[in-house]
Amino acid sequence: MSVSQPALTPSTVSRRRFLTVAGAGVTTSALLTMLDARQAPAQIKGTTLRILQWSHFIPAYDAWFDNKFVKDWGDKNGVKVRVDHIPHLELPARMAAEFAAGAGHDIIMNGSSILTRLYYKSLADVSDIYDSIGKKRGGWIPTAKPLVEVEGKQYGIPMFYILLPMLYRKDLFDANNLKAPDTWELARVAARTLKPKGHPTGIQFSQCADANLNWRSVLFSFGGAETDPSGENILIDSKETREALRFAKALFDEGMTPEVFSWDDASDNRFLASGVGCWIHDAISAYRTTEDTNPDVFKNTHIAMEPAGPGGKRVSTSAANVYMIWKFSKNQPAAKEFLVHFMEEFKDGMVQSRGYNMPYLLGDAQKPMPIIGSDPKMQILQDFPKIVAFYGYPGPFTTPVQEVVNLFVLPDMFTRVARGQSVDDVMKWGVGEYQRIFSKHKRA
Amino acid sequence: MTTASLHGGPEPSARAAVVSAPVLPTSHASWWRTHSAQRKTFGYTLLAPAALYVLLLVGAPFLFSLWLAVSDANVGDPVAHFVGLENFRAAWEMDTFWIAFRNSVVFLVVAAIFKGLLGTSLAFLLLQNFRGKKLIRGLVVIPFTLPIAISVLSWKWMYDSQFSVINWVLSRAGLIGSYGSESWPVWLGQPKLALAACIAVNVWRTFPFSAIVLLAGFTAIPLEVLDAAKVDGCTFFQRFRHIVTPMIFPILMIGFLFDTVFTLSDLSVVYLLTQGGPANATKILPVLAYQIGIQAGNLGRGAAIALFLVPLLLPALILVLRNIKRREW
Repeated sequence: MSVSQPALTPSTVSRRRFLTVAGAGVTTSALLTMLDARQAPAQIKGTTLRILQWSHFIPAYDAWFDNKFVKDWGDKNGVKVRVDHIPHLELPARMAAEFAAGAGHDIIMNGSSILTRLYYKSLADVSDIYDSIGKKRGGWIPTAKPLVEVEGKQYGIPMFYILLPMLYRKDLFDANNLKAPDTWELARVAARTLKPKGHPTGIQFSQCADANLNWRSVLFSFGGAETDPSGENILIDSKETREALRFAKALFDEGMTPEVFSWDDASDNRFLASGVGCWIHDAISAYRTTEDTNPDVFKNTHIAMEPAGPGGKRVSTSAANVYMIWKFSKNQPAAKEFLVHFMEEFKDGMVQSRGYNMPYLLGDAQKPMPIIGSDPKMQILQDFPKIVAFYGYPGPFTTPVQEVVNLFVLPDMFTRVARGQSVDDVMKWGVGEYQRIFSKHKRA
Repeated sequence: MTTASLHGGPEPSARAAVVSAPVLPTSHASWWRTHSAQRKTFGYTLLAPAALYVLLLVGAPFLFSLWLAVSDANVGDPVAHFVGLENFRAAWEMDTFWIAFRNSVVFLVVAAIFKGLLGTSLAFLLLQNFRGKKLIRGLVVIPFTLPIAISVLSWKWMYDSQFSVINWVLSRAGLIGSYGSESWPVWLGQPKLALAACIAVNVWRTFPFSAIVLLAGFTAIPLEVLDAAKVDGCTFFQRFRHIVTPMIFPILMIGFLFDTVFTLSDLSVVYLLTQGGPANATKILPVLAYQIGIQAGNLGRGAAIALFLVPLLLPALILVLRNIKRREW
């Protein structure tokens, strides 16, 4: 009887490949084990870690981050950490320069413009720590993953986002028997009532980051959408968008002055702090600025939930912030270890940012949150994580959306309507711009 | 003795003798030893650093941007593919591109006119003798030497929609109403005003440069020539037109060329003041190229948009160089 021998097939795995994969596996599992045990791997001792991030809108946060948080972690783990700060608008250019040079910082921050899909081939895969952090801290809010995920892998750690709620003058509202701006319609009524009394409202009809965020909040709350969940198809051409444009035109005519055409990101802060504005839709830096510069106005400034659209929908478009690690970084273990530490101590950051940094992790988003949970006027911010969205909603922040954002197409649509162009003409222009940009990216 | 020999040259007969002497067959190696070859080599050696400098710092980036413009390069991908004129076509199809192109031309022409007028006036002013002249000369270059970010931010404050110091002065002078009134100008919010405001900052920053260039030209004119013209009864404008301008023409042209390049490629003023808004009213080509090329990551299309500046610059460049060359003869 002959026993048939199994046919020998040549292995598709080379010895080198086997050693590479096995080595990477051992390193990752060791790192995960150490991360789990909250013990830094020994090999990071004596290394240097370089971090590039923005200059925080709350300067005290940077002082704490550089001199306390980073220093303590560095001392504990024997890592020399250097943090460089640049204005957030310069981050994309700096990222491009570091990519071209193949050298620079180990960790780089993206603020507002999240460039994961542009750079993922050059970014370290951080899926391991993304998952482990999520598991430990109760999971991520649903909109976090699309910011950093490409082809099923995560290439960044969402660090925090910045909310832009309604900030309104309760004294003026009360004196005129106006209801709190819980819906966009109520906000419009308030503006219409208070403008003749010297207290107009304002949202940027200009080319700045806040304009991109604020008008998206209006659009999405009106039921509009930018792309479908796949990010491939444009959904901007809708009756909801038309409705939002008509609303913006009415809001401008009835409740604003032409100065909104010149506003930058800080103009509305000054507008509120000066005591002129009846309400603005802005980050709480405006609230803090008012606290520091005009205590009387601050006393009467209240924070409201994101106003609901006609259908009752509330969507708050927020400014995302993400940490990424370059693939060329020679100190990826220390970079990952630092990011894990950052996320684990997130609440310290919330305290130091005076409630500015909002959490992506559900565990950190539970009530009461630090600072905002104990301030009666700010407690409402704790309800925002459920309604937070980012550019491209409900789709992800893709590269065509990135271009749409950088060219301010959506705020320009609202600006054109406010300036008197017909909604149909503006829709034709805006949809055309979206289609042109998306088709170019598809061709590429 | 001939005139040539008086000037140290050989006698014509001697030169003829040299010419008619039989040419000895020389090898390639020995050619290098000849006096003329050595002179040439020496000349080229002296020229080499400058040529290398131009090639490396001007030629290489320019060629690289040409390559980017015909490729699908983006900031996050190290590999780019040739796409022909696709990026130019994409720019051509953009509504915003044409707005930026028009604004760039308007920006250039209007700024050049004002810089010419102000620069000339300032240069004449600085030619006069008065007390504190040295101090004034020092002060006028301040806008040009200040870091652009700081000076433009100061202007941003001056143009602020609510706290504008310009508006405050105008309001106090009774020329405009108070804040919130119809007549209160929103400098960076009204399309034409916004473009004018950006041009004004550019003019403010760079007209001292024009003045310095002109001043250098004026001081090089011999006073005797001007005095002779005065004696002949020439008016100020006649002297300026028929004596000063022709004499300083090469300097004027070089200054014009520099200024054109500086103005057309000035990204900072517009970017810091308006980012191109409202609704692209102040968008110029460098800003658009930056937003598409760097911020949105499409290096190829960004480079193609930036290269559209070349057709604007090239005629000016050729015109200037030809004029200078013609005047040399």
